[in-house]
Amino acid sequence: MTTPIGYYLVLSGILFSIGTVGVLVRRNALVIFMSIELQLNAVNLSLIAFSRQLGDLQGQVLAFFSMVVAAAEVVVGLAIIVAIFRRRRTANVDESNLLKG
Amino acid sequence: MPATIWLIPLLPLAGALVNLFFGKRLGRYAGWLASATVGLAFAISLGAFFALIRLPEEGRELTATAYEWITSGSFHVAIEILIDPLSMTMLLVVTGVGFLIHVYSNGYMKGDPRFGRFFAYMNLFVFFMLVLVMADNYVLMYVGWEGVGLCSYLLIGFWFEKKAASHAAKKAFIVTRIGDTLMLIGLALMVFQFGSLAFGDVLTVAGVSGVSEGTMTVIAVLLFCGAIGKSAQLPLHVWLPDAMEGPTPVSALIHAATMVTAGVYLVVRSHALFSPTAMTVVAVIGLASALYGALASVGQDDIKRALAYSTMSQLGYMFFAAGLGAYSLAIALLVVHAFYKSLMFLGSGSVMHGLGGHETDMRVMGGLRKLMPATGGMFVIGAWALSGLPPMSGFFAKDPIISYANGTGHVLMWILAIAAAFFSALYISRILFLTFFGAYRGDKHPHESPKVMLIPMGVLAVGAAFGGLLTLSINGAIEHFLEPATGALHEAGEGLPEPLLIAISIVVALAGVATAWLIWGSGRVDWVALRERNLPTHEMLAHGFYVDDAYANLLVPTLLAGSRFLSSGIDSGLVDGAVNGLGRLTERTGGLMRHLQTGIVRTYALAILVGVAALLLILEVMR
Repeated sequence: MTTPIGYYLVLSGILFSIGTVGVLVRRNALVIFMSIELQLNAVNLSLIAFSRQLGDLQGQVLAFFSMVVAAAEVVVGLAIIVAIFRRRRTANVDESNLLKG
Repeated sequence: MPATIWLIPLLPLAGALVNLFFGKRLGRYAGWLASATVGLAFAISLGAFFALIRLPEEGRELTATAYEWITSGSFHVAIEILIDPLSMTMLLVVTGVGFLIHVYSNGYMKGDPRFGRFFAYMNLFVFFMLVLVMADNYVLMYVGWEGVGLCSYLLIGFWFEKKAASHAAKKAFIVTRIGDTLMLIGLALMVFQFGSLAFGDVLTVAGVSGVSEGTMTVIAVLLFCGAIGKSAQLPLHVWLPDAMEGPTPVSALIHAATMVTAGVYLVVRSHALFSPTAMTVVAVIGLASALYGALASVGQDDIKRALAYSTMSQLGYMFFAAGLGAYSLAIALLVVHAFYKSLMFLGSGSVMHGLGGHETDMRVMGGLRKLMPATGGMFVIGAWALSGLPPMSGFFAKDPIISYANGTGHVLMWILAIAAAFFSALYISRILFLTFFGAYRGDKHPHESPKVMLIPMGVLAVGAAFGGLLTLSINGAIEHFLEPATGALHEAGEGLPEPLLIAISIVVALAGVATAWLIWGSGRVDWVALRERNLPTHEMLAHGFYVDDAYANLLVPTLLAGSRFLSSGIDSGLVDGAVNGLGRLTERTGGLMRHLQTGIVRTYALAILVGVAALLLILEVMR
């Protein structure tokens, strides 16, 4: 008895939406970062679900790639956030608006 | 031979380069070097002449090709020279008269601070003039054509410290430029119609190419416009009198003997292109210039300006002859005119030299015959030749043209040509009497010029006196020699009998001389008072019928206003306005759009989200 793919996709969509809202409404850079991770993993979840449904390993392989890249990205991203924090004493992204037109 | 003929133009070029770079160091040898290069070129030309006449009459030409200059599809231009009887004649005139004037300049320009540079320019001029007459195609000829224009500019403005000289130089260059531009358009049209600019291609097919007569007329008239500018014919003559600001040998070489005759050469060379309509244009403009120049010359007090108007008048005669189809007569007059007119210019230079350097006003001359006997005597020969009285050369060159005009049946033209002949005799005698006869009216101490100046004048005087021999013999030695290039001189038709025509010419010329003698020579008429009584007439003649003033007051302001409109109205307004307007539009749009850039990353993320959602929605609806 397997769980139908619809459940996975609905869960994935819910997680992705939470992540998106998090990115859009939160101001703390660290929380935004976590929200992004949430989005990424929501997508990973749907990839794996499809992979299982289609009996094809490529989806799972892609999910691994995505996790590796995400890990690397976290390293760089956190480093940037720390650098900004050291310089401006805040992790509030709305205060970093030097590119304002 | 073909290889050596390259030396004819290259020797003066070498002389020019050496004098340009080392002229200062060469000192007075610069002049002798320059004279030697032209003299050598003359010697080689003579050699070429004897080589040429040994050839059979048909196919009497020497050619030499250096290399293909321009190749574009079927269009070719080669650096190639052609010596046929026509260019041979021009070659001998340019190098021969040029050599004598170079020698003369050694005396005339002595002590000038830019002595070497003067001879560099003179040599450069001779080089370009030789390119002009030796070229085998219109492109190479045009190179020479513009080159002599440049040298003319440089030499008119040689004493550029004088404002008048530098202005005259610019005027000469710009006015001839008008004609040159029209001529260039004519050449472009020729490429378009004939697909070639080589004399051999264009002139041989001109009659049978199927190009319509109207097009041919346009091409011919455009070419003639170039000749009008270069040869100072109406209405582009205004630069020639002013060009007399240059040193006198320049006036003799460029503005009497050679460059200004380039227009005549061009017309004669291209005569196959000239339709009857175009010929009429040439004849009418030539005749009008002949009459105009002769009349204007009577009103001049400046000896060089009087001679300049005389040159214009004589060139008018040449164009008149060419326009009637008497090409060989035009060239014959060109040759003897080169002798007697450069003789008189050198004579006037000798007078200026004798009066301390820069005096050209005939009102303060007079009686110089006794003080400068050699110059005076030779000037008499020149004036005699120009007045058209036998046995001097002018009679044998000018009279056939007037007789020919009678034979063609254009009675009005003939009468006007006779009238111009009367005034020619009048003005040249006036110059002669005012300068050399009567009592000396000035306060300087005239002295005769050195031998280095008198000997070249002597040689030219011999030419002016006996040049008529060229046109004598059975049907004219020079006319016969020119036949391969100009075609045989066809019979003009029935006119008045020849002896009567000759008698009329002589009587008219004598009348001109006698009138001049009465007014300016005999001392019985107070010509200063006469002038005061007829001041409006005198002023009109002195100002050349106010053509120059009309240009300055009507044409130039109109052109300037037009240019100003184009510059400030069209260029600054429309063209710049469009470009600047586009810039401003971009700037303003950017100014409005920049407010979208909040610098807050989350706003961008939201925009991306909304965009993606909208895109998905659209795709969904479309499906």
